[in-house]
Amino acid sequence: MPTCAVVTAKFENYVARDTESHGMLLRYAYPPYPVGWMSKEVLRDYVEADDPVTGKPLMQEMVHALTLPLTDDEKNPKVAQRPKRPRLLKKDTIENYKKMFIENGWTDGMPIEIPTEEKVEEMLTGTDHAPDEIVGMMSVTTHEERYTYTVEKVAVNAVMAGARPEHFPVILALAASQEPSMPSSTTSFGRMVIVNGPIRNQIAINCGSGAFSPFNFANAVIGRAYTLMSFNFGNARINENFTATFGNVTNYNNMFAGENEEESPWEPLHVEKGFGPEESTVSLFRGWNVNHLGMSIGGMRYSDRMLEVVNGLKSMLPGGTFVMDPLVAKNLKDQEGFRTKEEFRQWLFERLNKPDGPFMRPPSLNMVVVGGEWNPMFTTTDFVYTQTVSIDKWIPENGIRMDAKPIRMPSPVTCKDGTCGIR
Amino acid sequence: MSDNDVLENVLDPVGQPSGIFGRVSDPTSKNTGVVLDPYRQPTQDLASMGGQLMAPRLDGLEGKVVYLVETGFHGAKDFMDQAAGWFARNMPSVKIESRSTQGMIFTDDPALWAEIEEKGDAAIVGVGG
Repeated sequence: MPTCAVVTAKFENYVARDTESHGMLLRYAYPPYPVGWMSKEVLRDYVEADDPVTGKPLMQEMVHALTLPLTDDEKNPKVAQRPKRPRLLKKDTIENYKKMFIENGWTDGMPIEIPTEEKVEEMLTGTDHAPDEIVGMMSVTTHEERYTYTVEKVAVNAVMAGARPEHFPVILALAASQEPSMPSSTTSFGRMVIVNGPIRNQIAINCGSGAFSPFNFANAVIGRAYTLMSFNFGNARINENFTATFGNVTNYNNMFAGENEEESPWEPLHVEKGFGPEESTVSLFRGWNVNHLGMSIGGMRYSDRMLEVVNGLKSMLPGGTFVMDPLVAKNLKDQEGFRTKEEFRQWLFERLNKPDGPFMRPPSLNMVVVGGEWNPMFTTTDFVYTQTVSIDKWIPENGIRMDAKPIRMPSPVTCKDGTCGIR
Repeated sequence: MSDNDVLENVLDPVGQPSGIFGRVSDPTSKNTGVVLDPYRQPTQDLASMGGQLMAPRLDGLEGKVVYLVETGFHGAKDFMDQAAGWFARNMPSVKIESRSTQGMIFTDDPALWAEIEEKGDAAIVGVGG
């Protein structure tokens, strides 16, 4: 069937890249960008004017796309096959490597640890899995070629992020999700990552005071490694296939934290999702809005206030996740009688005024307990839960590979088994 | 170690091309699309895509049935309405059939493609972006 694809001029390079990588040619016509939120008069001008890419009348381009005979190139499309990449980079100076990693878009722009074989081999002691084992494949787009990555590739990115072998099982679990931290969308996705289970305390993941702030080594480097993997496995290229119009500040470390299971009055998130309480997992959430200042005001019950906030949170996806300090969770249970997260979820669900839709069902509402009990506050997000991945399969049989003296930032992590505040 | 020291064992951080590409979401999916669904990883490889050739073009559009398909991006329907108006004013012999894809913007609509294949001569699909 002769077809003309109409794509706004802003996306000319984007679709050209797609066409090239798929080896299937299409004929395009390009109206100006945007067409959304434009009056009918403006859109009529568009169809009467030239295609801004070709400089020829737009509608004529559409007619020609359907009627001009195919060229030889169009009759014989070639699939662009990307070459396999060498394992090692060309030898160079450290100074040049530092520039190279930044200039090639392999980092977030902040300093990295250069991934030498020695550093990577050390990182690989953080798991028993073979370096050449394929962990998964990923793309930040819905349509472009996926890149595969091995345990060793994950280790390279973990080294670059500044992680230690003790963090490696969590980073491998994130890689195994096959879900990039920042999917490409003009709408600028944000991300939240929540760890559950014993590993939180074993490697001192912050679940308490300032868990989302830069006061914890594990939270910082694991969250950053997830972003680096999205560059290097998801192949995120700004203005090429990564089209976030202003981006999202959570992309730096992806709101990486642990759930404060010890202070939560409810069952942990991962148990809700079908994992055992002694399993360690990482759960992923994606959305846009993070509304931090959540308080009960004027004597309102927390449930009523939270319902009010989530109802006012406009989003593209009818779902959401509350992140609440343990004091809020305890209040909801002890003062308001919500014995479980599920009871609160059902109560909210019955009162939400969002339009019905495929996501509009109770599981689209989630609750995570994080915080240091300095203030009974909650954060309202429009993040939808996507998946929970086991960390345990990546932990060495002999246990997490700890440094002789694990690195810990000054603020001790609050935990009840006494293992996490090492310093 | 100084910045001028030379290293010859630095590893490439980038993944390897897989030859596996994405595709649109399953039409029965409840997933609202802007999502990379890890449970439905794409399986289109280069071999399966290599045989997809462009269809031969028409000699002209006079008297032909052209489907104008809007895929749900904001403004697409209004734009296609204007395109339909252009055909009415400038190529009135072309029979325009205007359609919207079902579901959300990234959902496939095989029933519509079947209809176009059966009843149409050409299609203009958009507006992307």
